[in-house]
Amino acid sequence: MGEGTPLLVLGLGNVLCGDDGLGAIGVHLLKTWYQAPKGAELVDGGTLGLSLLPLLQDAERVVIIDAIRSAGAKPGTPVHLRGDDVAQAVRERLSPHQIGVADLLDGARLLGCCPRKMTLLGLVPENLTLGVGLSPAVERAMPRLVERIVGEARALGFAFRRRPCDAEEPRLDDACDVAGVLGLRRKGR
Amino acid sequence: MTHIVVDPVTRIEGHLRIEAEVDGGQVREAWSSSTMFRGIEIILKGRDPRDAWAFTQRICGVCTTVHAIASIRAVENAIGAQPPPNARLLRNLIIGAQCVHDHVIHFYHLHALDWVDIVSALSADPAKTASLAQSISDWPLSSRAYFTEVRDRLKGFVATGRLGPFANAYWGHPAYRLPPEANLMAVGHYLQALDFQRQFIRLHAVLGGKNPHLQSFLVGGMATPVDPDSQNSINAGTLAELSKLVADARDFVARVYIPDLLAIASFYKDWASTGSGVGSYLAYGEYPEGDGAQPALFLPRGIIRQRDLSKVEPMNQEKISEYVKHSWYNYASGDDHGLHPFKGETVPNYIGPKPPYERLYLDRKYSWLKSPRYDGEPMEVGPLARMLVAYASGHPRVKPLVDKALATLGVGPQALFSTLGRMAARAIETQVVAEKMQDWVDEMGENMARRDYRICDNSKWEPSTWPAECWGAGFHEAPRGALGHWVHIKDGTIINYQCVVPSTWNAGPRDAAAKRGPYEQALIGTPVAKEDQPLEILRTVHSFDPCMACGVHVLDNRRRELVYVRLV
Repeated sequence: MGEGTPLLVLGLGNVLCGDDGLGAIGVHLLKTWYQAPKGAELVDGGTLGLSLLPLLQDAERVVIIDAIRSAGAKPGTPVHLRGDDVAQAVRERLSPHQIGVADLLDGARLLGCCPRKMTLLGLVPENLTLGVGLSPAVERAMPRLVERIVGEARALGFAFRRRPCDAEEPRLDDACDVAGVLGLRRKGR
Repeated sequence: MTHIVVDPVTRIEGHLRIEAEVDGGQVREAWSSSTMFRGIEIILKGRDPRDAWAFTQRICGVCTTVHAIASIRAVENAIGAQPPPNARLLRNLIIGAQCVHDHVIHFYHLHALDWVDIVSALSADPAKTASLAQSISDWPLSSRAYFTEVRDRLKGFVATGRLGPFANAYWGHPAYRLPPEANLMAVGHYLQALDFQRQFIRLHAVLGGKNPHLQSFLVGGMATPVDPDSQNSINAGTLAELSKLVADARDFVARVYIPDLLAIASFYKDWASTGSGVGSYLAYGEYPEGDGAQPALFLPRGIIRQRDLSKVEPMNQEKISEYVKHSWYNYASGDDHGLHPFKGETVPNYIGPKPPYERLYLDRKYSWLKSPRYDGEPMEVGPLARMLVAYASGHPRVKPLVDKALATLGVGPQALFSTLGRMAARAIETQVVAEKMQDWVDEMGENMARRDYRICDNSKWEPSTWPAECWGAGFHEAPRGALGHWVHIKDGTIINYQCVVPSTWNAGPRDAAAKRGPYEQALIGTPVAKEDQPLEILRTVHSFDPCMACGVHVLDNRRRELVYVRLV
């Protein structure tokens, strides 16, 4: 067992599939705009299944950020799940392979480890087809999503501090750019 | 004649679909289709080639490292960058770890459930299970008390009514043949493998930090510093930690995985003559043992044609081409000819039925996968291809291990060309690679002792050092098979990028000459005892380790059935 993580903020989704990447982009924005407090770990989990299990098992509290479909809801609509609903949703989600964390979470249950309490914050996606970049409705909703993550963390006892902004606030579409999310921003590009 | 549809074959909706005609208890004809579009090529056009690996890493959540490796190799090949020995060793360790990890998971957590009846395990006698386990291995977790606990835990789990990984399977199917004790033993090892993989994957964290997407790749080498005197580098402590993880893996594979594989296989020997497939095999080879443009490979490169183990042909990448006659794409020059990946085109042309549909238009285009061919012939790729090429080349470790497994089961080399052969090859490869990893750790230690800390060739980092126009191919043996990336660079940006992935080789549709792909061919003759529960079809397809996970997986509140079968 690794040392426990008091708070794990875990973005999920594929940045190559439009709004499916909003979880990863949300975590990136949170990192860019806020200073994380001690004990909080921010991870872009992508569509990794299995490799996320140690992270999940080591964390005391987990806030998952993800794209969530909801019948009849417009793109960009906030979604908030708690308790068993999250476990169920995560089971569905974390199966990018024929064997995913879904099975392993159940395996963990079989091994006698109880799944911990989790919260899920998300947005209803619009476009999930191949391609990088968020649809306008989802992109507009991103700052509010980040505020909701910060609020949720505060309620759990973790105070994120807004970073002082430089001369000029970067444009939202630049801040959401996938090259930045992938850690590829180089000077002069 | 019954027309069967199995969709999805993997537990993901809409990825891999098999249609088959069954008559007289056997598959007579089969079609393999991927019903999800993939096209990373389109995203990469116009980008900086040095960034390509970070994008391709996101194609698949399970294969992140493999696409990164193939991509940096392709770009290095194009621009002439030469990674130093430490980078080669680090990459070998990352590749080897991925191989061992994925094979163990594939066997225990996916494929075993096609052979092991979980429900039957509930009625096993723990004492008999303990003596069975002790008869095949000296692994310590084999006591009666242990298997009693496993059985009780399984009972409690089933009693909750939430079956998780064990839901929606064909328990009690007549094709399950293991006695209850063997089933219970396998359940115990399913749980141990769960714990093993969790520990073992820490190897990636040791090498690449906490980010679950390894960020340590770099065109020209690796980004991880090597320095015995620094805390934040690969140092003596790191090497000791790696040695420990590698030793544990070697132990688990030799004392649990291999004995389990042989025990299960002994009950299913008829599967050593089922699921043979196209009979030709391609391996790019893996684990460079030296530096330079054409280094020696620990697992050799080569082609085997028509089950002839007496010779291994050299692989010439110019003979690779992809067809789209039965794929939902159009080629500008028409669909009757294949295109080499350097000339590859990715222009979608979906002319299939509008979903939801009962049947694909099987005489026309019916898959999002292209049909790769080598010298015009379909090729199987994967652990079996790698082990056959190594075996036929007289590999000093593979040859004796394969012979030993064949002798234990009392079968000849022909048994390798089968569903069971794929499973055995995967297990043997896991053992060979787990053993080899220590050598790479030791070599890194020797380099450090010689004060060779070089980790990256930076001489070709700046695009101004590249030719105005260049082409590169990057080859890698991913756990599930031969993976190639082809890149065409002009004025510092990507003009064309094509990936030919293992599942395209294996799961692709018929080509312009109507030759079946490897899945399709392997299914011909597969027995089907119950048409509404085609367990046997899953056994053969799963033996290839299918993966179509390169697309969207959005949360959905609807609870889906995992595998459904329709009789049409």
